[in-house]
Amino acid sequence: MRVSWSWLSEWVDLTCFKSPNELAELLIKRGLEVEQIERLDQGFENVVTAKILERSPHPQADRLSVCSVSLGAGEPLQIVCGAQNMKAGDHVALAQVGASLPNGIKIGESKIRGVSSFGMLCSESELKLKDESEGILILSPETPLGRPLAEILGKNDTILHLKVTANRGDCLSHWGIAREVAAALGQKLKKTMPPLLKEGGGPVAIHLEAGDLAPQFYGCWIEGVTVGASPDWLVRKLETLGLRSVNNVVDLSNWVMWELGHPVHAYDGDQIRGKTLTVRMAIEGETLPLLDHKTVQLSGQEIVIADGERAIGLAGVMGGGNSEVQLSTRNLFLECAEFSPRSVRQAATRHQRKTDASHRFERGIDPAGLGKVMSCFASEVLRVAGGKIIGSQWVKVGSRSDAEFQRPEIRLGLYEIHDFLGFSRDQVLLSLDQVESYLEGLDCQVVREADQWRVRPPSYRWDLNLKEDLAEEIARSIGYDQIPATIPALSSTPVLDISSIPQLTLQDRAKDSLVRQGFYEALNYAFTSSESLDRLGMKSAVRLMNPLSEEYEWMVPSLLPGLIRNALSNWNHHFGSESLPIRLFELRPVFSARGAIAASSHTETGVQETWKVAWALSGPRYAGGLRSDQENVDFFDLKAVAETLFSDLGTRGIRFLPFSASRTGGNPLFHPGKSVEVLAGNAVAGHFGLLHPAISRDLKARADLWVAELDWAQLLKLSRGASQVPIYQAWSEFPGMERDFALVVKTDVTVDKICQVALKAGKPLIKGAKVFDIYRGSQVAEGMTSIAVRVIFYDETRSLQEMEVEAASTKILDAWKREIGAELRG
Amino acid sequence: MIEKLSAIGRRALEEVQQTSSLESLEQIRVSLLGKKGSLNEVLKGLSGVSAEERPVMGAAANEWKKKIEAALESRKVVLEKERLEQQLQVEKLDVSAPSRLVHRGSLHLVTQTVRRMLQVFGRLGFDVTLGPEAETDYLNFEAVNIPADHPARDMQDTFFLGPGVVLRTHTSGVQMRSMLAQKWPVRVLCPGAVYRCDHDATHSPMFHQVEGLWVDRNVRMSDLKGVLEFWARELFGAETRIRLRPSYFPFVEPGAEVDVSCFRCRVKASDSCRICKGTGWLEVLGAGMVHPKLFEMAGYSANSDGLSGFAFGIGVERIAMLLHEVPDLRLLFQGDVRFLSQF
Repeated sequence: MRVSWSWLSEWVDLTCFKSPNELAELLIKRGLEVEQIERLDQGFENVVTAKILERSPHPQADRLSVCSVSLGAGEPLQIVCGAQNMKAGDHVALAQVGASLPNGIKIGESKIRGVSSFGMLCSESELKLKDESEGILILSPETPLGRPLAEILGKNDTILHLKVTANRGDCLSHWGIAREVAAALGQKLKKTMPPLLKEGGGPVAIHLEAGDLAPQFYGCWIEGVTVGASPDWLVRKLETLGLRSVNNVVDLSNWVMWELGHPVHAYDGDQIRGKTLTVRMAIEGETLPLLDHKTVQLSGQEIVIADGERAIGLAGVMGGGNSEVQLSTRNLFLECAEFSPRSVRQAATRHQRKTDASHRFERGIDPAGLGKVMSCFASEVLRVAGGKIIGSQWVKVGSRSDAEFQRPEIRLGLYEIHDFLGFSRDQVLLSLDQVESYLEGLDCQVVREADQWRVRPPSYRWDLNLKEDLAEEIARSIGYDQIPATIPALSSTPVLDISSIPQLTLQDRAKDSLVRQGFYEALNYAFTSSESLDRLGMKSAVRLMNPLSEEYEWMVPSLLPGLIRNALSNWNHHFGSESLPIRLFELRPVFSARGAIAASSHTETGVQETWKVAWALSGPRYAGGLRSDQENVDFFDLKAVAETLFSDLGTRGIRFLPFSASRTGGNPLFHPGKSVEVLAGNAVAGHFGLLHPAISRDLKARADLWVAELDWAQLLKLSRGASQVPIYQAWSEFPGMERDFALVVKTDVTVDKICQVALKAGKPLIKGAKVFDIYRGSQVAEGMTSIAVRVIFYDETRSLQEMEVEAASTKILDAWKREIGAELRG
Repeated sequence: MIEKLSAIGRRALEEVQQTSSLESLEQIRVSLLGKKGSLNEVLKGLSGVSAEERPVMGAAANEWKKKIEAALESRKVVLEKERLEQQLQVEKLDVSAPSRLVHRGSLHLVTQTVRRMLQVFGRLGFDVTLGPEAETDYLNFEAVNIPADHPARDMQDTFFLGPGVVLRTHTSGVQMRSMLAQKWPVRVLCPGAVYRCDHDATHSPMFHQVEGLWVDRNVRMSDLKGVLEFWARELFGAETRIRLRPSYFPFVEPGAEVDVSCFRCRVKASDSCRICKGTGWLEVLGAGMVHPKLFEMAGYSANSDGLSGFAFGIGVERIAMLLHEVPDLRLLFQGDVRFLSQF
């Protein structure tokens, strides 16, 4: 909200502030955030009013004039000017040497085509008074000379831009801010309100039919007004707040709102048909032309003001275009009413008209203030537009008494605030008398009883309901900086019922493992476009109802679209001939639907969040080195990442299945022959392998991209728990024996199978079998592969005999022959 | 024979001395001491020597053998040393050639910053709890005292996924879940991603928060201040001060915006400071005393008199950007290795 320093000065004495900055500091300390301090005379320093004494042509340039300009006193100044619209005797705006104009021009002493010039005559565009202007600004001939232009234009003011929080509707006016400042300074307000109007009379009957949604309504009839241009003071006041002048009556209604905080409205009295005015709920389908010249169709949920025939105003939001005050208007009907904050908010939201009025009604106006506001409005209308009050009516729903507009009483123990804020009870700033004076300064009625206060907040403070609210009032009265800093006592009651620390510990383990393996953690938005999913053959079941753009419309069903996009963009800005290492991972939830996405209970959303760990790998195996070291990663680097991760997590029982052996048939995102399905027990926990070449080509990937995505929860089921520690296992003190075998097998026999057969047949002495060479080529028959296997035997309790190892080896060889048709290579 | 022995011995010692390579030294050893070596040849001739002379001759031969062996050994040491020296003369790497670097990785700045915060607060006794990112309107708003049609809803532009389902705009729903799940005392931190419809250099539609909640008997506002001061000093340095300004968040009362003194310009604010823009203060979080409405919503009974608590919410990206001088929030979410590899 904009607050004008000079307007505020009408309400409260600001002379104790050396600058607007000091006032801003006070407001901030009291909870009114100042976002900006705008000096309206910014750029008007050294710009003064002056009079042209003489204008003569420039000796060297046809288009320029040389003027002699008077500031009223002192020697006239010589000014070279390029404009044509001035003549001797004109009053003008002179930017003197040293001025720095709003449009950025700095004025210095200069020579223009050989003639000295000691300033510049300004145009309205140079002063940023208008966007465009022709010629220089000519002021009225009555303008006094040598005065700051800012003062003449009413620009010697400073505007504070406040961010008023949603609980402080009472601060949305100059009166409201003045109350705060006065309370802080211990002052009384300077302005007094005009006396209340005498109620009674009027040509139209007012009916309230919306119950508690519109509990009271004050109407006032004025006849014989002259609608026209507003007086200067009014135009300027509204201008400083960024509002355009419309006419004197409309401007006054705005002025009342910014002065007192209560939105009011003026109708053209002759447009109210049928001698009746009703505040009622709209009828579904009813239409209402609004002041912004657009017609809305009402839903039936809105409160409207209606005459005998039709709706003429959307209550609390905007007046009707069918009853607008115009220059021809002679008779006025003024409205000051109370409407339900909730209903006004709904109407403003539904019809997308967040107005200054709805903003204030949503936050709550002073329900006890209607009389004061109306008397102020009406008396200003009479003063500015003339006319005569012929009647006024304050109508209330039911038999409301004034007491009903009061806030409920709050009971507060004498030292409760001390204890709650953390002050000692003998704190001087918080003596009982002090506490009372702070509250009374805020217009609270305070009654002290034996061990407690009864506090009644003023009617305009909707936010004061509990003793905690009063604690805040006291705290901000003395300043939050007075509150001491303590460390709370730890009670010995455990608080671990709902701890996520075990889960986080395991996440940390996984992240640390991937970082150790040379991966950077990426964080991608949880939403993406349908197009980016389409390209990867994916679909999302969770859509944002109000996305920022198509780019962020769907919740991600997988982390891979993000990582693949990251790889592509890294490639895009990579230059040079070296291949770029891509090593990225992410550990985050992905989203799917569990039935309909709707809140079926307080905690159930229908959205399934599944945590995944994913990584993408490409480029050289080492980060540095010579070309001979710079081979690119392949499937087995990718596999190593998974295996290292499982080892760090203590994950057991994971199997890798080639897609050809998978029951699910794999995953179309991956190259079918260079990828695996990961099984955790019997469940598919994910896949890793080469991004499918067709997708790679489609995306214009610059290199092979190896990707993995695994279901985090599945891995955790088979991993060491966060609180489980590894248990020591003794190793054999006795030397083992090794036997190497060169086998020839059919090419479709896997390494896995060879090892499994050996491990089974060589029991109990066999402790390991690993393949250390694989050869296909001219030395073996077509369709066959030569595989070198090393088998390791030992026993934890004794040295092995040559004989028993031979026997075990024979059994293994037999099994190989029988089960996979392996032959020893000749 | 003695003479013959002596002659062989002397000549051998001479040869050993003159040998310049380990290979020829070995040849000499074989030719003298080998099975068919000359010394052995001499000893074989012992059979033709008289019984009286034999021990004398034997002893002499053994003495020569020892001398020669000693000479061979010492010459070998010398020659080996020479050879190593020669070898070391030749063997030289260009140590400036590129190393076979392994890849280095790093945690995302958000993860690093969250970890630091959890560590600092953890030392004060906070537990950690996580919650879903898709949240009910009820837990995200209603239960934390932001009813439907309340102007406070304007403070947070919300993404909706379905009727009554939102992407959480803060992690306060997790606080509520914590209170619903257990009796007080509650001391939890809720870290996680949150979402608001806003996108520019200082607003991201997805960002992260660490919220804290402490509920117990007789918790005071001064406790909130002390806890935040401890956190600020741990994170920004021992001289850091904090400033609380009254503000409004529906789930707390009293509420506060919290600033920390600029860790770059320290005591004296400098107009040129690019961190605090000359104000000397950095706005970093919102906090306050838990609104009694939340206790009511959590079903904490009316007889829990003296129950109070504080809560705070810290924007993780904001802290990370301040500490690491990151100029644009969007950099954090682009997966750009040029960015990620700096931290």
